[in-house]
Formats: sequence, C-alpha cells, structure tokens
Amino acid sequence: MAKRASDTPVVPYAALAELTSVVKSELMGVFEDVLDSGQYIMGQELEAFEREFAAYCGSSYAVGIANGTCALHLVLRGLGLSHRDEVITAPNSFIASASSIALTGATPVFVDIQPDLNMDPDLIEAAITPRTKAIVPVHLTGRPARMNEILDIAGRHGLFVLEDSAQAVGSSLEGRRTGSWGDAACFSMHPLKNLHSFGDGGMITTDDEAVRDRMMVARNHGLSARDRCDYWSFNCRLDELQAALLRVQLPYLDAWTQERRELAFRYNDLLRQYVDVPEEGPGEFCSYQTYMVQADRRDGLQAHLISGGVQALVHYPTPLHLQPAAKELGYTAADFPMAVEAAGRILSLPLYPGLSHGQQDRVAELVARFYRD
Amino acid sequence: MRVPYAYLSEQFADIEPYIDDLRGLVASGEFTIGPYVEAFERKFADHIGVKHAIGTNTGTDALILALKAIGVGPGDEVITVPNTFIATVGAIVAAGATPVFVDSDERYQIDVSLIAEAITPRTRAIVPVHWAGCPSDIESVLEIADRHGIAVVEDACPSVGAQVNGRSVGTFGRVNGFSMHPLKPLNVWGDGGIVVTNDDEAAKFLHLYRNHGLSDRDHIDIWGVNARLQPVQAIVASRQLDVVDEIADVRIRNARRLDQGLRDLKEYVKIPERPSGYREVYQLYQVGVARRDELVSYIEAQGIEAKVHYPIPLHLQQAAMSLGYKRGDFPVCERQANEIITLPAHQHITTEQIDHVIGAIHSFYGANL
Repeated sequence: MAKRASDTPVVPYAALAELTSVVKSELMGVFEDVLDSGQYIMGQELEAFEREFAAYCGSSYAVGIANGTCALHLVLRGLGLSHRDEVITAPNSFIASASSIALTGATPVFVDIQPDLNMDPDLIEAAITPRTKAIVPVHLTGRPARMNEILDIAGRHGLFVLEDSAQAVGSSLEGRRTGSWGDAACFSMHPLKNLHSFGDGGMITTDDEAVRDRMMVARNHGLSARDRCDYWSFNCRLDELQAALLRVQLPYLDAWTQERRELAFRYNDLLRQYVDVPEEGPGEFCSYQTYMVQADRRDGLQAHLISGGVQALVHYPTPLHLQPAAKELGYTAADFPMAVEAAGRILSLPLYPGLSHGQQDRVAELVARFYRD
Repeated sequence: MRVPYAYLSEQFADIEPYIDDLRGLVASGEFTIGPYVEAFERKFADHIGVKHAIGTNTGTDALILALKAIGVGPGDEVITVPNTFIATVGAIVAAGATPVFVDSDERYQIDVSLIAEAITPRTRAIVPVHWAGCPSDIESVLEIADRHGIAVVEDACPSVGAQVNGRSVGTFGRVNGFSMHPLKPLNVWGDGGIVVTNDDEAAKFLHLYRNHGLSDRDHIDIWGVNARLQPVQAIVASRQLDVVDEIADVRIRNARRLDQGLRDLKEYVKIPERPSGYREVYQLYQVGVARRDELVSYIEAQGIEAKVHYPIPLHLQQAAMSLGYKRGDFPVCERQANEIITLPAHQHITTEQIDHVIGAIHSFYGANL
C-alpha cells in the first residue's frame, strides 16, 4: 500500500537549507563583512568572484550579472541583433533560452534534440539561413552539448556561439569545462543551481576581451565611467552580497558535484531496468544539476512517487515552441517530434548533496513497485 | 572635521534583527518571489497608498516594466528631462521608444511650461522625475497629460516618502517606478526596485512580465524577463519601511539647517524654492553655487565630501548622439550642470558637521558667518 502524501515529503525535491548549514558560519561571516564595508554594489567581492569563477571555468574573463536570463539577453543584445535576424536554440529548455532571443527583436529558431535531450548538431545546418547570426546550445541538466560539432558548424557559417550553461557549472567535455567552449557562455546561480546565490544570480564567461569590456558597461547602464554613458542599457549587476556568498561556496563546488555524480550513478544502477537513465556519454562529465529520467507512463509514475512522499517534477511538460508566447513563430507539435516525445516522458527525481542512500532506495522502491504492479 | 558622504555602514551597524528574518528565509528556501517579497509588496503598497506594488530587481527594471505596461513601444516618443540619472532614458530606449527632452526648472524638476510644445502625435507618455527626493510639479504634469490624452509614468526612483499635498509621489501616474538602491531613501543591500499602479490590468501584465511571462510554473503567456525583487532585499526593505519616515524627518531637518545657514550667501549660492505643501525628502541635498569645481576641491580639503549629480546632461552623452541634440538645446539644465553641488545631509551627520559645511562654504566665498 502506498503511503498517503503528507505535508513534508519523505524525499523533497531540494534541500537548500540543509546544504547551506554546512557553510553557514562562513556565509554569515562574509555577510557581515559586506554590510560593514558599506559597499553594496560592484565592490571587491564581485571582482574577486569574477576572477575566481573565470579561473574555475578555464575562461579568461567572467562578468557578474543579476541573473542568468539577463546574462543571455545582454550577450545577445551586444551582438546588435535586429528583427531581421535569427538565432538557433533548443525547444526543450527553460524559457530564458528563447525569450532572451525574442527580447532582442530577433527570431528564435528551434532545432530538435537527440536522445540525450541536447541539441542535435545534425539538424543545425538545415536551420541556418542567411539571417542566422548565432547558435545558443543548451547544456541541459548539466550534460554538455556536442560542442565540437556545434563549433565546427558555427565556424563554417561565421556564427557566434553562446553556450547556455545555466545548468552546467562544473560540467566538462573532453576535460574542458562548459562555459569555455563558445564565444561566450552564460551561467545561472538561481537557488536550484549547483552553485547558487540566495536569490537570483548570473555570470557571463568569455575569452574575448572585447565581449568582456562590452558586458561590463552593458550591465551598468552603459556607463564606461561615472559620468560617461556610451549607450543606453540596463541595470543588471550581480549584487556584491550575492557575489560574496557565492565566493564562499565556490571552493566546495567540486566536492558537491562529486557527491551529485555518485548519487546519480547510484540512481542509474537502481533504476536502469525500469526507466531510461541519464548515462554519461563518452568524454562527458555531467554535473547532474537535474537528475532526469525518461519513463513510460510518466504521469502515472509521477503521481505514484508523489503519493509516496517523493517530490518528482517535470522540467518541462510543454516545449517552448508550443507555449502561447511562441504562437507568432508558427510552430506546430509536428515540428520537433523528439522534443515533443521527450516532454511526455521526462521526470526529474530529487538529487542534491545530502540526499541519503535511504532516500534514494525509497525512490527506487516506489519506481520498481509502479512498474511491477 | 570629516563630513563623509557615505553612511551605509552606520545605518546598518546593527544587523541582528535582519539576521533573524534572514534565518527564516533560509529555512523556508523561498528564494524566488515567495512570501517575503509578497508581504513587502503589500506593506509598501499600503504605505504609499496604492493598490498594487510589484517588487523588481532594480529601479531601472521598475521603469522599463512601467513603460511596457502602458504599451510604450517602437515608434512612440516619451517626454522626460535631460537632468536625471541615465536609467530614466535607458528605460525609455529599452522599451523601444524615443526619448524627447524638455528643460528643467530652477528646482531641477521638469519645466511644466515647456511640456506642451514637446508633444507630437507620436507622444505616448510623459515621465517626470521626482529628482533628488523632491516632488516635481506632478499636478500640472497630469493636467497637461490629460488634456492631450497621454499617460504619465512617474520616475519616483529617488523619492520614496516625498509627497504633494499629503499624497505620495508614485500615486499620480498610471504606472510608476521606485528604486531601492543603497543611496535611495528606502534602501537595501544591493539593487532593488518597485513598480506600482492602481490599474488591475497593468498589475497583471507586470506580474507576468517580471517573471518570464509565466502565468504558472509551466505556462508562458508572453516572452518576459527575470526582473524579480530578491527576497533578501525584500526583508531589508520591509524593516527599512518602518523607519523611512523618521529618516526622512532627520534629512528634512538637516536640509533646513543647511538652507538657513547658506541663505545669506545669495550672491553665490542658489537655494531652490521650497514650495509649501511639498514634502521634500532630500535623497540629494542639491544647491547651485558659483565656481563650483573650485568649491568642491576647497571643501574637500576640509574633510567634506561633496558630489555632482551630474556634470554632463544626458542629451550631451555619447549614448544620446543619435537623438540629434546639441549644446544649447536645454540652456537651464546645461547651466545647472556647472552649478550644482550635492552636500551631505544624510541622517547620520550631526549639527556640528552641518555647521562645519556651512562655515567652510562661507570661508570659501570670503564671507563672515
């Protein structure tokens, strides 16, 4: 008999407060330091975090941004896109991958995905037109997209590559970190990300000094100096306070990633006979920001897990091209069959540092029972 | 004697009460909008007397969202002033519209006598700025806007607490924006903003657009942005809101003392008119002075930190080049850019420090106190 759902799940989807407690005294320390400094906007903590984050990713530069969405928007805007331009991305991502394109005035053009849920490089060239200006591959769930092929295609067509690395801090491909492959990359530090702020946060990485310089000005009203406004722009600075809190956590990130990976591999072993599990592909080092399986009778399985006290979620049930916001782009469900099929099968299971083997076993037991009965 | 311009570390010397609230936040895990942001929004709306308040990531975002909410877009013109912080104009451009400037008056506010001639068939909105924590002549702005059937969006970014005849700024226009940047009257520990309105339709749009266009977790009605107020900042703002009026009272007192102390220097120091019925909260205490740059260096040598907000009017910035303005187009604002000085008048300076400022300025002009 399945247990009734209670207010507190046995296996919650995330356990932010528990993880935070590990580094709490350090967090509280820098918190007070920043407050005492009286420097709440773009101070030394932000500069130091930018240096450390760039080094972590193996990029020359990093620029702190208010959130991952703003980061994508600013980089794309910096390309000078207009309503005549097109930018290619994947339809099975978080909204921001497409909205950041649409908000520059350009048209998001989707290409379908491969079985690992990332953009299928074999479909990109068919989507390229004379109007295409950039490709935004998404490293979904922390699995690196096929950057070698994507960069090759982009190089041949002279396209800018912006990695949407929002979910992929700490991931790598062939030993090279995500965020260091494209012309620029964007990260999110939303609370559900592996490296997170206590609110929203984002980052842009690049090896291109010109991109870095432009982003430093673009995030701060277009100001190149206190009294000099080069162009009209936005305010999307990363708060000094969040930068300081992120700095505290960065040294722990690799250990947290390792723990996520061990738990993910353990899930894989427990669940492989029932559902399609996210096996790591050759050359991939996945950070498992989301542990996403693909399951038959997904809705039934999700309901079964939830009634058993396991918070299982779907990221996301409706692909971007079928959202009301995408209506004027004129896509139909037939356009991206892989993405549409995946949307009906994907299920995200709780995975985070501190998740116990007992909790994992509980999840596995419920999955096994669902498919046995 | 030192008279510093900055005061944040004093203002937030005791953070214990905030830490208690923050513990609650961390335990709740509600880092994306959530109850802390919503509670602050309700409290703020009640405080200034408006139906809806929606927290935003920055004051700039508040203005962008306000303009979008009233339907400003490409092809539209929006009237504002050239003597404001860049964000006023940045927001108009971000909404896709063309900024059209009108000159400032002797209170550093929009000169309402010049608005009508700047209106064209393409004018969609007027954005008066309540500059420096002082209300603009918002009642006249509304009258002109009504006559021409165009909307008013108040840039109340620097002016939480300012009032006209007992009514808060930010409650006059259709949709209006505030900033909570650290140097604003209601300030937080980083960036923050609020957009307010009495219009239910606009409020609905603002909620959607601020959070990716999401009508619920899985439905995207429109392409939106992430412009959410951070819960950490909502907690700070909520506590600050309890004391914002007291802080304003101290600043008002300090400003009066400066006004009185400088009044005899008529030849050198222009104190703007202080209209009755206006509650000016002095986010900046700004006056016009002769030989401004020399005065700034002179009092700096005496430990007094003064600033200039701002030395270059926006129509003369690089960013404005494509708008086609030139020096001479806004003579009052251009003259003021060479005269204005911002003196410390914040809640953490003492009367002795104020008198030191008054004394230093007198001695610069060779006048006796």
